[in-house]
Amino acid sequence: MASSKLLAAGLLIGAGSLHAAVLPKIDLPKDSPVAVLSADYGNSNETARGGALMLDLHAALSLRNSSQRTIRGITLLVTAQDVTPGGKGSVTVTSLDVAPGDAFPVRIDLRLLRPLQASSSVPVVIGLDGVLFDDLSFYGPDKLSSRRTMALAEQEARRDRKYFKSVLAEGGQDRLQQEMLATLTHEADRPSLDVQVVRGGRATNFELEQKLQFAFLSLPDSPIEPLEGMARIAGNEARAPRLDVKNRSDRAVRYLEVAWILRDHSGREFLAGSVPADLNLAPGQHSQILENTTLKFPAQGGQPLAIDGMTGFVSSVEFSDGSLWIPSRADLGQQQLQRVIAPSAEEQRLAQIYRKKGIKALVGELNKF
Amino acid sequence: MSHPADAQLALFAGGDLGRWERWRVGSHVAHCATCSQEVQALRGVSCHLREAATELPAQLAKDLNWTRLAEEMTGNIRVGLAAGEAIARFDKPPTTRKRLGWNAALVAAGAAAVFAVAFWSSLPPQQAEHLMSSLKRIRVERFGTLVRGGAALTPDEVVLEASSSGIELKENGAAMSLMHPHSDRGTVSVSLQGVAGVRFVDADTGQVTTNKVYYGEQ
Repeated sequence: MASSKLLAAGLLIGAGSLHAAVLPKIDLPKDSPVAVLSADYGNSNETARGGALMLDLHAALSLRNSSQRTIRGITLLVTAQDVTPGGKGSVTVTSLDVAPGDAFPVRIDLRLLRPLQASSSVPVVIGLDGVLFDDLSFYGPDKLSSRRTMALAEQEARRDRKYFKSVLAEGGQDRLQQEMLATLTHEADRPSLDVQVVRGGRATNFELEQKLQFAFLSLPDSPIEPLEGMARIAGNEARAPRLDVKNRSDRAVRYLEVAWILRDHSGREFLAGSVPADLNLAPGQHSQILENTTLKFPAQGGQPLAIDGMTGFVSSVEFSDGSLWIPSRADLGQQQLQRVIAPSAEEQRLAQIYRKKGIKALVGELNKF
Repeated sequence: MSHPADAQLALFAGGDLGRWERWRVGSHVAHCATCSQEVQALRGVSCHLREAATELPAQLAKDLNWTRLAEEMTGNIRVGLAAGEAIARFDKPPTTRKRLGWNAALVAAGAAAVFAVAFWSSLPPQQAEHLMSSLKRIRVERFGTLVRGGAALTPDEVVLEASSSGIELKENGAAMSLMHPHSDRGTVSVSLQGVAGVRFVDADTGQVTTNKVYYGEQ
């Protein structure tokens, strides 16, 4: 798999104002189920900004499904080892329905800022981390756990399509239309928050810390029961959360995520992030999850967030056999969750189809599955 | 015109000054009537003492070692002079040289400020922000006791940032951002294992895309 079709993407189509040396390489495995048809770098450019160079890369890739199965999701890995040696990026497209032989677009809008004295070339490499098929089989190195990410998205997509199909069957197009309008309203009203994740960093807030206990939302079907938890709070920073959880199912659990909702002094609530854990939790066992990470919530033009309360709920679970659990639509209908949780990727996609093309196009899309 | 100290005049009168000091005090005495009179007076006293010594009882005059006595007196005067100079260093008002030192420091500080402003204004925003965060870090270390039991400290701080307009990984002054210019508001998500992401629906293609940046074990 390491050997590859190394493609100098600049050879394909227009390189804009970019020098060929800074164009990315698209590095796909020999037996990749997708092939690059074309790569367009239209408005890409590199400019000097004071003591730094800024590379603006706008890549419009056209990929073809060269496998025999329908593709549901793809994750491309983006690395720039000279610029950010410890980090990487990814672009994941989910809710796809790409039949064998069909082409589909993937857009990558990347910006790199690097010191002038850095090496002259920017070896941005675009690789493949994984492809998810409609039978939930997977291809790829899965360095970014994209198998789980895409499988969870696909499970959510199936749950939500099933729900909207039932709405259509029971209430007709009018009822489906009402649901879509509610989704669009919810999406517009949902509070959003900018977040910084600081790993191995120093605390920069001078305010004294206080330990704050988690409150937990009860999801009756959840295989994991959160018992207690706390985090250290200082002003607009939340540090080092600790959670105690119990596996109340009859299957071993190897991964779970607890979503984290924060409340500020004025009572507003935001979905701050999630506390994930790779573990091996046998039925009935307890475990503690610790993360030495700080979440910071920068001020958005006004007062910085002053954290006053925390709520957690189990948002996903992976069992040791690879099967997944996600909350049901009924679970997500709880008032507190509905206020802060975003619609699923599939629900957003369906709402976008309704907004752009109308109810008939939406019904047609639902009937494809 | 400043006159030599009394002790120096006394040593000069007795011929006990060093070569340089003798020339310096002698030059002054040659042109200064006051000091010349003082030196004459001191020499007169010395002669008077010698004459008086001849009138002492024979035994006492025999026991007096005039050379040793003169050496002891000279030594005492030198010690006194040295002590006086040492004390004078603390009492002296700032000299011209010191004032020059302050001026030089002011000029240097001004030049440094001009350089700092020029340097700061030439920095791109990301690098300026990184520099600012480094300075803040120094400040936190200095006053670190204000933060009790803070997060574990390691030398390199890596920041993942997620906002509805895009996501960014900042590392050692460099940055990598993934944006979504062809869509409306994105859905922000972060994971405490070192992942930040934004999900958005592409306005052109209708596709649901999730951009993420990672730092850590992935």
